[in-house]
Amino acid sequence: MWKKTLSELIAELRKDENVIHWHELEPAEANVRPLPETIDGRLRQALKARRVHDLYTHQYSAYEAVQKGENITAVTPTASGKTLCYNLPVLQKIAEDETSRALYLFPTKALAQDQKSELNELIAEMDIDIKSFTYDGDTSPTIRQKVRQAGHIVITNPDMLHSAILPNHTKWVSLFENLKYIVIDELHTYRGVFGSHVANVIRRLKRICSFYGSHPQFICTSATIANPKELAEQLTGSPMRLIDNNGAPRGRKHFVFYNPPVVNEPLNIRKSATAEVNRLAREFLRNQIQTIIFARSRVRVEIILSHIQELVKKEVGPKKIRGYRGGYLPNERRAIEKGLRDGDILGVVSTNALELGVDIGQLQVCVMTGYPGSVASTWQQAGRAGRRHGESVIVMVAGSAPIDQYVVQNPDYFFERNPESARINPENLIILVDHLKCAAYELPFQETESFGPMEVADILDYLREERVLHYNSGKYHWSHESFPASNISLRSAAQENVVIVDQSETANVKIIGEMDRLSAMTLLHDEAIYLHEGIQYQVEKLDWEHKKAYVRQVDVEYYTDANLAVQLKVLEVDRTKEQEQSAVHYGDVTVNILPTIFKKIKMTTFENIGSGPITLPEEEIHTSAVWLEWKREEPEKSLEHILMGVANVLHHVVPIHTMCDKSDIHVTSQIKAAHTGIPTIFLYDHYPGGIGLAEDVYKRFEEVKKAAQDLIRRCPCENGCPSCVGMGFDGMNIKQKSIELLDQC
Amino acid sequence: MSMAKKLQRLKKHIVREEPPAPKIEAPKAIRFWEAWEAAGAELFEFDGEYCITRETHYDIETAHGLYTFQDAQKTIGQWSSFEGYHPLSAKGFATSDLFFFDIETTGLSGSGSVIFLLGTARIHNSRVTVRQYFLPSPGNEAALYAKFLQETDYTTLVTYNGKSFDWPQVKSRHTFVRDKVPALPAFGHFDLYHASRRLFKHTMESVKLVNVEKEHLGLERINDVPGHLAPIIYFDFVERGDPEGVLEVMKHNERDILSLITLYTHISRLVLDQKGPADSQTALEVGKWFEASGNRAAAKKSFEQSARSTETEVALDAAYRLAMQHKREKSFEEAAALFQRVRQAEGKRAVEAAVELAKMYEHKWKDIPKSLQETSWALEQNLKNEGVKSALEHRLQRLQKKLSK
Repeated sequence: MWKKTLSELIAELRKDENVIHWHELEPAEANVRPLPETIDGRLRQALKARRVHDLYTHQYSAYEAVQKGENITAVTPTASGKTLCYNLPVLQKIAEDETSRALYLFPTKALAQDQKSELNELIAEMDIDIKSFTYDGDTSPTIRQKVRQAGHIVITNPDMLHSAILPNHTKWVSLFENLKYIVIDELHTYRGVFGSHVANVIRRLKRICSFYGSHPQFICTSATIANPKELAEQLTGSPMRLIDNNGAPRGRKHFVFYNPPVVNEPLNIRKSATAEVNRLAREFLRNQIQTIIFARSRVRVEIILSHIQELVKKEVGPKKIRGYRGGYLPNERRAIEKGLRDGDILGVVSTNALELGVDIGQLQVCVMTGYPGSVASTWQQAGRAGRRHGESVIVMVAGSAPIDQYVVQNPDYFFERNPESARINPENLIILVDHLKCAAYELPFQETESFGPMEVADILDYLREERVLHYNSGKYHWSHESFPASNISLRSAAQENVVIVDQSETANVKIIGEMDRLSAMTLLHDEAIYLHEGIQYQVEKLDWEHKKAYVRQVDVEYYTDANLAVQLKVLEVDRTKEQEQSAVHYGDVTVNILPTIFKKIKMTTFENIGSGPITLPEEEIHTSAVWLEWKREEPEKSLEHILMGVANVLHHVVPIHTMCDKSDIHVTSQIKAAHTGIPTIFLYDHYPGGIGLAEDVYKRFEEVKKAAQDLIRRCPCENGCPSCVGMGFDGMNIKQKSIELLDQC
Repeated sequence: MSMAKKLQRLKKHIVREEPPAPKIEAPKAIRFWEAWEAAGAELFEFDGEYCITRETHYDIETAHGLYTFQDAQKTIGQWSSFEGYHPLSAKGFATSDLFFFDIETTGLSGSGSVIFLLGTARIHNSRVTVRQYFLPSPGNEAALYAKFLQETDYTTLVTYNGKSFDWPQVKSRHTFVRDKVPALPAFGHFDLYHASRRLFKHTMESVKLVNVEKEHLGLERINDVPGHLAPIIYFDFVERGDPEGVLEVMKHNERDILSLITLYTHISRLVLDQKGPADSQTALEVGKWFEASGNRAAAKKSFEQSARSTETEVALDAAYRLAMQHKREKSFEEAAALFQRVRQAEGKRAVEAAVELAKMYEHKWKDIPKSLQETSWALEQNLKNEGVKSALEHRLQRLQKKLSK
């Protein structure tokens, strides 16, 4: 078969009528500086052997700033050689003084493994005995002691630091006494609840370091977000220098927005994004062009994978197209990564697992199934395509979700807007108290000591009253037999997790996962269909008291969707913006959540094919919320419908503006709010105590409001559709009314 | 909203430490000092901190379980005439050099778990002296360790699982006060837990000290505070200051330490006794222990003794091990006779014995038919280990080839 070149395919794509926006990114030349004079001869030799003869400007600046004793945050796009930003100063320091130690933190074990291999290749070229080890749950007990005593570079994750290293710091004396650098890679992943926890873990780390007399510098690297410096400073509690003078070269990039054709005009239903992705990917793959396809869920990955393998099996053979997602074994992943680098694998279908810095080389084409959810995430995925020289193409195929439609129809929003800010709230009281307990366990607290920027005397006193701490001559001592870190997980929304037990095989009952309590109410109730790594399980029994869900593997044609009855009570109003007809408030609320019924929904047609009750106790959380209220005593009948529509739109828009997951913020509307009796929409942080999302919405309300209105306005439907405010009735003019309603705030 | 108000509101979301520890308040003076004094306690002050110590003496003729402390003294003295290496050998030490040692803590692991009681016992000047060092509340650790380190020779500790529990805990806590008290040197010690596992685990479900006491030392605990209650009792003391419960824990700790003297005596006797332990199983375990420590001469003696009894699996195991020792010493005739015995009895080790015989016939005595006979016999047995099986098949082929030449 005669193969088309990438340029020819680009030319064809330009003519496609479904392409609604075409954006070109100009190529850039490399910007380099010679290796600094100060670099140790052996390190210089090792770099030469790896064909590094000079440094990109950002690597050079990073090295120089660290030499000056500054903490740095390097913001670098994918494949710009970010690892040298930290490996260079770290190896230099150890070459100068062999007692020096460094701690590397990666958000996942897989990334830590990758980094170790890369680092060891570089070390092997140096003539110095530098020991670098990963330290995680998989590290065998026999070498743990060696890692603790002799590891120059210890590579781990925040969870391990929290639960194993810090609580046992007396076994790590040689690390903490000599710690020179703390490296935090993939900084942008530390946001929301997880980031708020990690910021506190780092406060504890700094406390332990100062006990042992070390004052390490921080070296962070981050993907492009709006506030890398601010996030790094919040996370580490140290002033940062921002390094963003990227000197890596790049070729020409075409960024294409593709909107599948409408197949049902009145209902504004479009052809499915998946089908369009299959077709587009096939065109590239059959012409032997290396392509990565992103999908938003694990199930979706498997579906697209099997379609594409089928479509191109004659031309390229199924072995050359692979899937990649969480749940694959580490060896399998390593093989796929290597296959992509070597070019043995032509195509890969992945979840956002490949967004992170795993090295797979540079591909020519990236196809996204739907908008990835945030500007930052989109750029991360787009970064997978793009060689240092030559052209590359990124195609984003829009789904029917309101946000997808909004993005592709408002290209300026995407291309001109800064990526989102990553927000954390280390001062969330629950998170803070958790970590204060861990900190007091690790080292007695001085009465006058602060924890990060916080005065914590009140909390310490509270913990003394709770009989967890003991006060004696100016110090608070841990005085409980428990081990606090073991109760506290950095990654879950609520502290107490429900364990998922698979009892498909009586002889081999095993735990397959865990879930936070609040999510479990809607996803693990009796008879729920729970999806885990593409496999369907049915929940046979949710043992709420013991926090266990017993599941069994099934093969059914439906999924389940639970309804929650949510009640909100306003506890305290902190801030208010009054308008003539409305008001926007920010404050504390109590949320009572009671799951009521679940529906069985057929997978192919989304028909409702049955339902059942859920009997679980009510949950109560106190959190922060922002709420919009309209001063109308006697609202017209259709208002309830409109409120729901606006709430729906806000729930889609807010996560993009606050860079959180859709499940981190909840939206609910009340036609007669309990505390005032007037129409109200609440947006609240789905985490006890709040993590700063509602506050952010309050501060940037104008921006959020405008985005919501734009979304409704630009939706091509006539009278509301599932992609915006939902279906309206005849003569109701729901779109116009929704926009007006928002205008009043 | 005020911090205090917020904390109250979020109370149920903050992870609670269950069960709640007793309410704690800082003592102005030492409360209940009369009770302490009545129990023979003394105060030690150091650098603005203090700890409570207690010394108890026992006459050398006092019996604790099977033996008196005098027996202990005698047995420990007997190590001086012991030849070769043994992990428990006290050769070169005076009886009074040994410190029998045990601690009580507020938790099992981690830097936040505190040692609140250290106890030692020492046989000295015709009596046994028990010394206990008690932490009256967190924040007095410098005093605790200063006093303990001043009075204890930590190069010769005798413990129960001290290698992996007690000593690492001491090291961990010492890190917190290392600027104020002497450094901790490397320590040497005898760990009786490992010794007990070697000798008793084949007959006991759990080799916890209490169980060993009951089974082997003729000791029964009456009114003893279970060790797992110690943390709760301690936290209660820190709150209320009444030493009643703590004194019970101290009694428990003292019993533990005294039992270590009896246990050390008992195990030493099993190892040192010229006639060896009466039962063939213990003799085998003692022999294996010598074998693992590289003391072959002593191992042989124990195996001989164990192999003396009739054809039980234990005796056959001992005979096999003894044969291996002979083979190593190139006493092939003795080795072959023992391997024959094991092979004939057709017990668990018969195949291994046959393999050894086949090797010796083939290489030592060049008796191919006999070697072939042993090999074929071994192959007829129900072999579960594929490696053994394929090695035997390989040997069979080689022997057949040799025979046909």
